[in-house]
Amino acid sequence: MKDAVYVLGGEQTDFQRNWTKEGKTFMSLFREAVQDGLEKVGLTPDEIKKLNKQNRIGVFVGNFDAEQYAVQGHLGAFLTEVDPCFFGVPGARYEAACASGSVALDAAQTKLRAKDYDVAIVVGMEIMKTVSSSVGGDFLGTAAYYEKEAKGVQFPFPKLFGKLADVLLERYKLDEKRYMGALAEISRINYANAKRNPKAQTRSWFMNNEHANSRGGEFNMAVGGRLAITDCSQVTDGAALVVLANKNYAEEFAKKKGTKLSAYPKIKGWGHRVAPITFESKVAESKGDKWVLPWTRQTVKDAFDRSGMNTKDIDVFETHDCFTSSEYAAISAFGITQPGKEHEAIEDGVIDFHGKKPINPSGGLIGAGHPVGASGVRMMLDIYKQVTGTAGDYQVEGAKNGLMLNIGGSATTNYVFVVGK
Amino acid sequence: MREIKTVTVLGANGTMGAGSAAIVAAFGKAKVHMLARDVNKAKEGIEKAISSIKTDTIRPRLIPGSYDQDLEKAVSESDWVFELVAESYEVKEPINKRIAKARKPGTIVSTVSSGLSIARLADAFDEDGKKHYYGTHFFNPPYKMILCELVTHAGNDKKVTKKLGEYLDKTLGRAVVYTNDTPAFAGNRIGFQLINEAAIKAEEYSDKGGIALIDAIMSGYTGRAMAPLDTADFVGLDVHKAIVNNLYEMTKDAAHSTFKLPGYFQKLIDKGDLGRKSGQGLYKMTKTPDGKKEKLYYDIKGDLFVPVPKFDIPFIKEANRRIGEADYIGAMNIVKEAKGLEADIARYFIARYVSYSLSLVGEVVDSKEMTDLAMGTGFNWAPASAFVDFLGGPKETISLITKAKLPVPEVLAKAKAGKPFYQLKDILDARSLFKG
Repeated sequence: MKDAVYVLGGEQTDFQRNWTKEGKTFMSLFREAVQDGLEKVGLTPDEIKKLNKQNRIGVFVGNFDAEQYAVQGHLGAFLTEVDPCFFGVPGARYEAACASGSVALDAAQTKLRAKDYDVAIVVGMEIMKTVSSSVGGDFLGTAAYYEKEAKGVQFPFPKLFGKLADVLLERYKLDEKRYMGALAEISRINYANAKRNPKAQTRSWFMNNEHANSRGGEFNMAVGGRLAITDCSQVTDGAALVVLANKNYAEEFAKKKGTKLSAYPKIKGWGHRVAPITFESKVAESKGDKWVLPWTRQTVKDAFDRSGMNTKDIDVFETHDCFTSSEYAAISAFGITQPGKEHEAIEDGVIDFHGKKPINPSGGLIGAGHPVGASGVRMMLDIYKQVTGTAGDYQVEGAKNGLMLNIGGSATTNYVFVVGK
Repeated sequence: MREIKTVTVLGANGTMGAGSAAIVAAFGKAKVHMLARDVNKAKEGIEKAISSIKTDTIRPRLIPGSYDQDLEKAVSESDWVFELVAESYEVKEPINKRIAKARKPGTIVSTVSSGLSIARLADAFDEDGKKHYYGTHFFNPPYKMILCELVTHAGNDKKVTKKLGEYLDKTLGRAVVYTNDTPAFAGNRIGFQLINEAAIKAEEYSDKGGIALIDAIMSGYTGRAMAPLDTADFVGLDVHKAIVNNLYEMTKDAAHSTFKLPGYFQKLIDKGDLGRKSGQGLYKMTKTPDGKKEKLYYDIKGDLFVPVPKFDIPFIKEANRRIGEADYIGAMNIVKEAKGLEADIARYFIARYVSYSLSLVGEVVDSKEMTDLAMGTGFNWAPASAFVDFLGGPKETISLITKAKLPVPEVLAKAKAGKPFYQLKDILDARSLFKG
């Protein structure tokens, strides 16, 4: 891809926090995320003011459902509450369910490539613990076709991804015990990885393969067909910020920092595809196809085509494991295995932290947490950390190129970014 | 240090014993001998352990037993003996003698004591036993409160200490705070200093709202989810007494007089009003005639329970509002500038907490990060160093401490201006501990 977009850095909030319990609102979450992020990157209010005067900077906010969770819309304008340096800076909110962060990243990179702006501040955020889990489950139902798939259904998404687990099992004629064991192992890996991540929601929670495999009963209730609580990501409050820039500014910034442009990774490729919205129509459309989620696979291929890279070039993955079944399907979408053979990669330790193709060293959505609108931006931040060698205890050794997959709905909106130096 | 595959927990029926056994069985995948006075109590401990960590998968690894029947055999096959029996030399020393006879060389033995001398308890053991004897002070409930104070004494081997610290941290997921063998170690010394001084002040201002007033002043904006006297009620007034009496007897620092147990605490203890566990203590929950829940507090002078009033203290409202908006420095500015008795009390206690926490560096712990971690993960209290930053830095904090006529700790006096004083930001977000 020409007209490179650089990632200058960012920060995320501690996903363990419950902002409502702290007596704080979505605005406090927003304020801390933005202040911390800009401080970490080293983008000062004076610099933002200067860039704004020259009309070179924009703000892109990814959020799914602040209207329902926080009774607040118009989030694109909220950086003005954080600091007066944002007065006048163009900003808007972007929404695509759990891929809201990615659609904000995509809007940002598009403006940078077109040289409309030189700098983009991308914030993803969701505050979810303002309501009970059942009310929140109903809100999340609007990421599906609410009337047809969620209305009156308790916890619709575990059920939709439970159906994905069923379809994968049936389509590839898998051994059920082995397959469910592989899903449990996905859970174990994500929790184990989260223990190295100081911002992960579950970093002090207990999980092992035995517990993840003990589905049903008091301590690991079934919530969606074959899936139990340990197969699910958790309700999370959180926000993440990254700063992107085109070459015009990245060079300037590197000079100011006394470093080289090559210190910053680039977005090397991207993909964006939308599958039929209902899960039923997805399954019907993919009958006879090699992949159960062909549009997810296509999104990965698009990103590979744009970057001129392939699976072999990717050292680390961050994927959308809202449920273990979604991570399972992603393994073949990435090209790590053929479809129907994903469990082999799991059993052989390929996707483990020390494996050949580590997935979710951060802990992913299951381990690190899933504040819906923040997840895409958090993944971008984690890939940035990995390829710049700044991931601390969860650094994958020698990672040069990383890929993130962020999906909205039941694998409806698919987004992939390839980032590397 | 040997790999820890088998563990004996003594006192396995208590909340701490069962909770700790659950951590060892779950995170450490160890076989755990759960020992209590009798086997039925040990079986109760197993149920408590399972429900504390919410996984039935540890059940096969938990083996019930009694001190009389099973101690020697369990200890002889264990790699770690974790003793959580009652907090007194009279109970612990005879048990240690039995452990000393039965243990194999290399077996770690540790106590969860929160105040006794580790060196004295280690005396029951031979040279190898002394080398492997530690304080491993877990906090209650262990699954939620991840602090473990690893208390060493002069007879320990640094290599073993390092390995044990790594095991507690990496395998069991504890926030390990290394402390010297000093009374009440770090967490309880700081925590109970503040709680007991709050109790003393409550008596001084008993005609102005006493216990309820002090807790209202020390609420969420001062960096604690639970106010100090509510905390004393939660841990039990008898436990509080044991800790502060020991501190009063064993320490002679600048806060010495603040460890004296107030008379009304003893009065309540004598009546059996020990706090939440006995239904009433400093507080009592009741129901109004129309069936609504109501919280009462103990009126010290009147010796009766009266409803907790809704205090209208403007600076607290404003500080809470600022915290609610994530403006932590703004909140502390409000506290610094507010007028009136309540503001004086708030400033005094913030100054005291920072002064006392940091004064233990050198004596109890090697660095301020250790006291910060202890308070953040053992009490859920905002660490002292975070206050320094929110108060505007070392200079502003020293001014607050000086005005309160309290000692300025050396580590604060030597601090460089313009640099964040709190260094654990990437491990513990101190802002999360302030409640708006």
